[in-house]
Amino acid sequence: MHSLGIAFDLLFGSPIIFYSIIGLTWGIVGGSLPGISASITMALLLPFTYGMAPVQAIVMLACTYIGAEYGGSIPAILIRTPGTNSAAATVIDGYEMKKQGRAGEALGISLWSGVIGSLFGLVMLIVMTEPLSWVALAFKPTSYFALGILGLSVIASMTNGSLLKGLAAAVVGLMISTIGTDPISGVTRFTFGSPELLGGVEPVLIMIGVFAVSELMMQSGSKGLGSIGEQVRVRLPSLSMMNKLKRSQFIGCILGTFEGLTPGGGGSIAAFLSYNEAKRWSKEPEKFGKGSEEGVAAPETANNTVASAALIPLLSFGIPSSNSTAVLLGGLLIHGLLPGPRLFEQNADVVIGLYVGSFIATLAQIVVGILLLPICVWLVNRPRAYLAGFILALILSGIFTLNTSISDLGIALGMGLVGYMMRRAGYPFLPLILGVVLGHMVESSYRRSLLLSGGEYSIFLEDPIAIGLLLASAVFVTLSLVREFRDARNAKLKDAHA
Amino acid sequence: MREQAALKDLAGGIAVLAIAGAYYWAIGDIADSTLSDDVGATGLPRILAYVLAGFGLILTARAVMAGALSPAAGPAPSAPAPAEDDDHVSPVPRALGFLAFGVAYVVLVPIIGYLPSIALLIGSVALYEGAPRNWKTLVIAIGGATAFWGIFVKILGVHQPSGWFF
Repeated sequence: MHSLGIAFDLLFGSPIIFYSIIGLTWGIVGGSLPGISASITMALLLPFTYGMAPVQAIVMLACTYIGAEYGGSIPAILIRTPGTNSAAATVIDGYEMKKQGRAGEALGISLWSGVIGSLFGLVMLIVMTEPLSWVALAFKPTSYFALGILGLSVIASMTNGSLLKGLAAAVVGLMISTIGTDPISGVTRFTFGSPELLGGVEPVLIMIGVFAVSELMMQSGSKGLGSIGEQVRVRLPSLSMMNKLKRSQFIGCILGTFEGLTPGGGGSIAAFLSYNEAKRWSKEPEKFGKGSEEGVAAPETANNTVASAALIPLLSFGIPSSNSTAVLLGGLLIHGLLPGPRLFEQNADVVIGLYVGSFIATLAQIVVGILLLPICVWLVNRPRAYLAGFILALILSGIFTLNTSISDLGIALGMGLVGYMMRRAGYPFLPLILGVVLGHMVESSYRRSLLLSGGEYSIFLEDPIAIGLLLASAVFVTLSLVREFRDARNAKLKDAHA
Repeated sequence: MREQAALKDLAGGIAVLAIAGAYYWAIGDIADSTLSDDVGATGLPRILAYVLAGFGLILTARAVMAGALSPAAGPAPSAPAPAEDDDHVSPVPRALGFLAFGVAYVVLVPIIGYLPSIALLIGSVALYEGAPRNWKTLVIAIGGATAFWGIFVKILGVHQPSGWFF
């Protein structure tokens, strides 16, 4: 009842609707630009949220995530180029429908399925998050240390590429988090006499550098994309079509929730899994790949479900499962909000605001999505050369607003170079980001644990939660090593046969 | 192909080792404090340096075993470039060139101010990325910069660097 009161207060007594719509609009526009993923769209917005009230900032970021998932399907359907990674599966049937002159219908199905997926994910978020977060009340410093290690090892083992590279990236992230003033002794570490580094390196600078600047560097020199010549209008599905799409949307909801809860899962895997399962359970599997409506509905439902379901592990334990939720965690930390049960106790308005804002954005998606389509089409048609200039200008202008410091620009550009080199060398950068974000929790809980035990490391083996989490980390790492070893052996055998 | 990938992994492994070494060296500059706990300000950094060095050694050794040092891992023999690739620039210099515009902005903005710097940034990046050298690019750069200035400075009231001109 108290929560309902807060929800009504936020809905009618605060500008939450305005911030939801702004976030949604930004997300749809950003997501529709090929190469600008949901996480980059969110990272670009992050500097502007600094001066906002926490609830407004978090609502805006979460609604951007929701919008970007739909926005990504626009170029996927119209020019066969997914705006976000998770829209890659939508290309298969979405573009086929466009070739058959049914682009408006495909966009309508994408929009409708996105709404269904977001609503389902939101219900899961509300139902599951708070009970899960209470588990965290039993956590001691040793458990938090083990949780940080679990988060890092799971992300390192689940992301693409080699486990060792992922773990090395995570350690570099932890190293970056040690820059600045040591919170316990007050001595400075790795600042090299620079007063700008006394407060440490802000995660937002690393996120913008690694996600956005490195992406622009990767795309530099690439040719422009095909243009959308025709006039397109969204056509929402009829009642009979909605009925036909139910099965594939249900599959998308279930798999989207599962992948949202899984660290490293993300929208792309959920979308492809849902596409395959929808085909398997469809009454018309032969239509898949040839312009099937269900082939658009399943992946779009799944990636929108992930956008909400991925917030469950984030809000409960502070463990982001994807790039986008890592940016959202950055947003929470910027405003001094720590995920877990205390967030529900001390900042109930933020959590309820997040639910209310996401609900508004989900419903508004239908109207805003239809209204924004011409703008998205216009933007996608702009020459890439100008877009690159504008995006870099936006990044540099936005970063300066954080602390009005020129050195912040240098840090973000430097991290852009690091991100570019990591991409070239096949190192995943989500573990690096996570290392930076979780670094403080890992170090402070490690030191507090040893402070309590008088320096005895056995304290980590006296806490059953810590033992369970550390064992889980070991299992993830071992399984990943076995998989890597098996893949390498198979590749060798393949080479020998060739 | 496999040897080329191994060579890249070798470079990555050596870079990881170098980061671990540089970080360990910098730990020496951290002052002692009487307020420090048992672990101290250098406790976790030391562990991180050792762990990263371990990963670097394994990555390097694995790359060597995968054939990074074999003759096949060297640069591929040069093949005649197709006609349309005459003006091709390899991705690394191209990307570094792109980054250089950002660096130039950082250097210029405190000197000439926000509005001219952002106009130069938009225009030069657009030209670098293949925009035509005509009045349209100039108008877009100046118009874009004015829009950025209007949004950030006038509407949002966010302070941006001022220089000689603005």
